[in-house]
Amino acid sequence: MHFLENLPLATKKFILDLVKGACGWLCTKLGIALPPWAMPLLLTLVSILVVIVAIIAVYMVMFALMSVAERKILARMQNRYGPNRAGWFGILQPVADGIKMLTKEDLVPRGADKIVHFLAPIAMVAPALMLPAIIPYGTGMVPVELSAGILYFFALGAGTELAVFMAGWSSNNKYSVMGAMRAIAQMISYELPLVMSAVIAALVAGTLSPTGIVEAQGGYSLGFIPNWFVFTPWGFVACLLFYIGALAESNRCPFDLPEGESELVAGHLTEYSGFKYAIFFMAEYVGMFAINGLLVTLFLGGYKAPCPFLEWIPSWCWFFAKLALLAFSMVWVRATLPRFRIDQMMQFAWKFMLPMSFAALIAAAVWYYAGRGPLAWGLSALIVGIPYLALGHFCFTRHHTADNRRYLYSE
Amino acid sequence: MHDLFQRLISLPWDQAPQWFFLFPALLMLLAAAAAVMLRNLIHCALCLTLSFIALGVLFIALGAEFVGFVQLLVYVGAVTMLILFAILLTPASEVAASNNPFRSFQLSKALNAVAGGAVAMLVLAGLLAAIFFSPHAQAAVNPAKAATAPAAAIGENLLNHTLLPLQGTAILLTAALIGAALLAKEDKRS
Repeated sequence: MHFLENLPLATKKFILDLVKGACGWLCTKLGIALPPWAMPLLLTLVSILVVIVAIIAVYMVMFALMSVAERKILARMQNRYGPNRAGWFGILQPVADGIKMLTKEDLVPRGADKIVHFLAPIAMVAPALMLPAIIPYGTGMVPVELSAGILYFFALGAGTELAVFMAGWSSNNKYSVMGAMRAIAQMISYELPLVMSAVIAALVAGTLSPTGIVEAQGGYSLGFIPNWFVFTPWGFVACLLFYIGALAESNRCPFDLPEGESELVAGHLTEYSGFKYAIFFMAEYVGMFAINGLLVTLFLGGYKAPCPFLEWIPSWCWFFAKLALLAFSMVWVRATLPRFRIDQMMQFAWKFMLPMSFAALIAAAVWYYAGRGPLAWGLSALIVGIPYLALGHFCFTRHHTADNRRYLYSE
Repeated sequence: MHDLFQRLISLPWDQAPQWFFLFPALLMLLAAAAAVMLRNLIHCALCLTLSFIALGVLFIALGAEFVGFVQLLVYVGAVTMLILFAILLTPASEVAASNNPFRSFQLSKALNAVAGGAVAMLVLAGLLAAIFFSPHAQAAVNPAKAATAPAAAIGENLLNHTLLPLQGTAILLTAALIGAALLAKEDKRS
C-alpha cells in the first residue's frame, strides 16, 4: 500500500533520474563540460514539464470519460440506450467525436472580427488548463504550492468571463451577444457567493493555501466522523452554496441558459464550429472538474479518507473518487432539473445565495470563537437556520406576489 | 559545431531568470500603447485588459503573489467587464465624430502630440517623485524585506494599521452602488 501511495511521486522521480542519467551519459560521450548550474536548472525545467504533461493527460482522459459517461447516465435516466455504436458499450465515442470535430469545416462569419474570433477559444482554454495546478491531489501531490492558492483559482476564473465576451462580441450575431451578456451576468452574480463560501473555509482553516485547508480537515471526532468542513452547520451551507455556484460557473443545467438552445441557438457558441467549438466544450469540462476539485479540497476533506479503517487506500484515489461522485451528481442534476428563467436565476443569486453566504460566514466565525463544542454547534446552526427559513418565507413564496399579478391579455 | 554547442551551453543561462520580468513588462507597454492607438474601442479595451494581465504577471514574477492575484481578480474580472459593458451600452461612435466638446481646443496634430507628451511626462514625473519620496520606498528597495509579502501580513496591515481608510473606501463604494441603482431605477420609470 505504501507503494501505491507513492506511485505518482515515484514515477516523477524515476523520470527525473532517467533524464539526469541520459544527460550525463550524453555529455561524457560528446565530451561537453557542463557548467555546475546546468543540471539543476535542467531538472527543474523537466520536473515542471512532467507535472504539466501529467495534469493535461489526466484531465483530458477525465474529459473523454466524462463526455461518454454523461451521455450514458443521461440515457439511463431517460430510459434510452445512449451511444452504443463506437466500441464496447460506446466507450470509443470520444474518439469518434474527436475525429468528427477535427475534420469539420472551421467556419468564420464574414462580418466577424476575425482576430478576436480566433483568440476567444484560446483565452477560454488557457485559464481552464491552468486552474488544476493548485489542487492537492494526494499527500504531497500539489503541482504548484502557492500560499494564496485559493485566490489564484478565482483570479484565473475571471479570465473566463473575458473569453465569453470575446466569443460573443466577435461573432457579430445577436444570439451570440445576448448569450454572452447572459453568461457574464450569471458568472458575475454567482462568483460572489462562490468566493464568499471559499472565504468561509479559508477563515476556519486560517490559511489561503489549499494544502493547509485540507490538513485542517484531518482527524476524526468520536473516532469515526471525519473532521471535514461539510459536517458542520456552516460548512454544510457553504458547501451547498459552493456546489450551486460551481454549477452556475461551469454553465451546467439548470444554469445553462446562456446557451439555452430553445431561445438563443447556442449563445456565444453559435458561430463556432469544428475544433474551436470542441475547445470551448473542453474548457467547460476541465473548468467543471477543476471547480469540483476545489470543492473537494475546501469542504470534503480533499485527499483524506472518510473513515480510519479505510486509510490503507491511497490518498489520491480518495480525491478522484470524491471528484467522480461530484461529477456524477452534476449529471444527475442535469437529468432532473429544468432550466431557470433569467429573472429567477438573478433573484436566486442576489436575494438568496448572497445573504446565505454572509450568514454562513458569521456562523463560521461564531463556531470558530465559541470553541467548536456543542454550544458552537447550536449557535452556528441557529445563525444559518433562521436566515434560511426567513429568506425562503419572504423571497420565494407566492403569497405576497399573487395579489398584484395582472393578466394583461386574458382579461 | 561541437565548439559552438560548448560555447552556447557555457553562456550564463543561470542569470536568465533575472531578466524574465522583461517579457511581461514589454508586453504591458506594447498593449498599453495599442490600447491608446487602436481605432476600434472594443479592441482598445481588450488591449487594456492584456496590459492589466501583464501587470499582474509582473507582480507575480517579482514575488508579490497576493497583489498579482488581486490585480487579476479585480482588474480583469471586474474593471474590464465594467469598461466593456460601458462601451457596449453607449453609442460612442457618433459622439466621438460629431459633437466632441473638446473640438475647439484641438490644434494641429504635431502640437497635440507635444502637449499630450508633456502631460504624460508630468504625470510620470509626479508618480516617480511620489514613489521615491514615500517612506515605504526604502523598505521596498531592500530585497530581503520585499521578497516575501504573504497574504497574512497584508491582511494584518490592512485590518490593523489602515482600518479607517478601508472602512472609508467601503462606505464610498456602497454609496456609489446605491447611487448607481437609484440612477438605473429612475431611468426605467421615465
